Amino acid sequence: MNQQDVLNQVQEIFQDQLDDESIILTNESTANDVDDWDSLTHIMLVVAIEKQFKIKFTSMEILSWRNVGEMIDNILNKLN
Amino acid sequence: MLVNSLNFLIFFGIVFFIYYIPLKEKTKSQNWLLFVASYVFYGIAAWQMIPLLFTATTIFYFLGFAIRRGNEKKASLLTTLGVCIGVGLLLYFKYLNFFIQSFADLFNTIGLKANWGTFNIILPLGISFFTFRLISYIIEVRRGKMVPTKDFVVFANYIAFFPTIMSGPIDRPNSFIPQLTNKRTFNYGLASDGCRQIIWGMSKKMIIADNLATIVNPVWADIPNQSGSTLFITAILYSIQMYTDFSGYSDMAIGIGKILGFRITKNFNYPYFTRNVSEYWRNWHMSLTSWLTDYVFMPLNVKFRDLGNFGLILAIIINMVVVGLWHGANWTFALFGLYHGLLFIPLILSGSFFKKKKLKTNKLGIPYLKDVLKMLGTFLLVTLGLVIFRADNIGQFWDYINGFFNFSNFFKLTLDKKELVPLALFIVIMFILEWFERGKEFALSTFLTKNNIVFRWSFYFFLIVMLFVMSSKQQEFIYFQF
Repeated sequence: MNQQDVLNQVQEIFQDQLDDESIILTNESTANDVDDWDSLTHIMLVVAIEKQFKIKFTSMEILSWRNVGEMIDNILNKLN
Repeated sequence: MLVNSLNFLIFFGIVFFIYYIPLKEKTKSQNWLLFVASYVFYGIAAWQMIPLLFTATTIFYFLGFAIRRGNEKKASLLTTLGVCIGVGLLLYFKYLNFFIQSFADLFNTIGLKANWGTFNIILPLGISFFTFRLISYIIEVRRGKMVPTKDFVVFANYIAFFPTIMSGPIDRPNSFIPQLTNKRTFNYGLASDGCRQIIWGMSKKMIIADNLATIVNPVWADIPNQSGSTLFITAILYSIQMYTDFSGYSDMAIGIGKILGFRITKNFNYPYFTRNVSEYWRNWHMSLTSWLTDYVFMPLNVKFRDLGNFGLILAIIINMVVVGLWHGANWTFALFGLYHGLLFIPLILSGSFFKKKKLKTNKLGIPYLKDVLKMLGTFLLVTLGLVIFRADNIGQFWDYINGFFNFSNFFKLTLDKKELVPLALFIVIMFILEWFERGKEFALSTFLTKNNIVFRWSFYFFLIVMLFVMSSKQQEFIYFQF
């Protein structure tokens, strides 16, 4: 799986969890760019991502991401 | 030295003059001046604490670098050490005697004789505020969200900045430190906005809060002899006193910051216009709640993420008890936090916790009845919480609540109506103004600039005259004790 595949899947999870088909993610996206993406929905998103990719993040990883790109890199690291 | 006193005006006048005239555009020298001014300001209030403040600042300054340079294991260890030092300072100065006393009481109730002495510890002003800044700095460095600053004076200013050291708002390093390194020239627009915010803050504090204090305090001093209606109205008045006192202080601090070219983080966003407790906490003492959201609630929520709603409730209750205990060592504060934590449960279970519904109004800008009722309900829940908060101990809180239900002479209102009526008028004016300006940073931010010059200056003149006419005995800010 490459960066783009992961990004597409993550985008689908965001659209599904936040119930908004119009969400488009890029590597630079942050919580400020997406309505309803806040500290609460963040956890729902993380749980859904962990389930989808069958991975487990550490707390430190989750709290360190600065944008979607860093999260995607983290997922790719776990997958490989 | 209270920020609304003549002494402060003189102090600030001197700082302002040197800052913008001889030191114009000299960022480093301006920072030195702020550093000296901040330590003088803090020293006047608590000179004994200067060595502690300075030592803690120095330790955390070096910790920042060590965390940045260290490998994963070392960085994690040093961050833990830093958090322990920060929390340890708080525990020692604010909670040690409370723990000793509580354990002694516990042993005594189970029949073991414990007669332990408590320590004679001075309560350092502002410690809850500056330790939180210290802690947030090393966590942000650890999370890789910022690079530690090399300039010691910049860092020391972030910790001790005089407008905010006593009572906040608690700025974050990521937004505040860059402002200290940027060039600051006199910005007329920002400074006049700051002046308006100071006038608004002073009006809330001196016209409303200080006068409410003279009504509320005597009632609390003599609870058994008050009627139910008096206690009920006093509880409501205390909620308004708390809001006008603390948000008034925050407005003044933010306004002073603006005059010096700084944007200090927002602390209140019209909390009494919220429709449930969760919304309320997102708009009340925001710099504290967002701090705790990032460093207490989020890590807990991440840890408990596989437990679903139960995990979320647990994280919120722990977080709210910490919010309560942050105010000081007293069971009333723990109960206050627990009470608010429990109020989140129905919101989480019903799902309304996750929804953010925009507040709609009719054409005249008036809210719908359903929303008004929700706001009133939230206000009353918050008011009950503040009765716990205001009580000296749980017993006094209990007396107060019992007094509510004293129906024998419920309607015998013992408050002085001559004092109450003009004050009520100001409270209504304040809330109406805040309601229509609730999209703005503070009520006077654009309300007056939109109007013509005659109206604008008449309004300032009216407020300033009222500040003299209405200002009663000067009261300390409630949040200076925390």
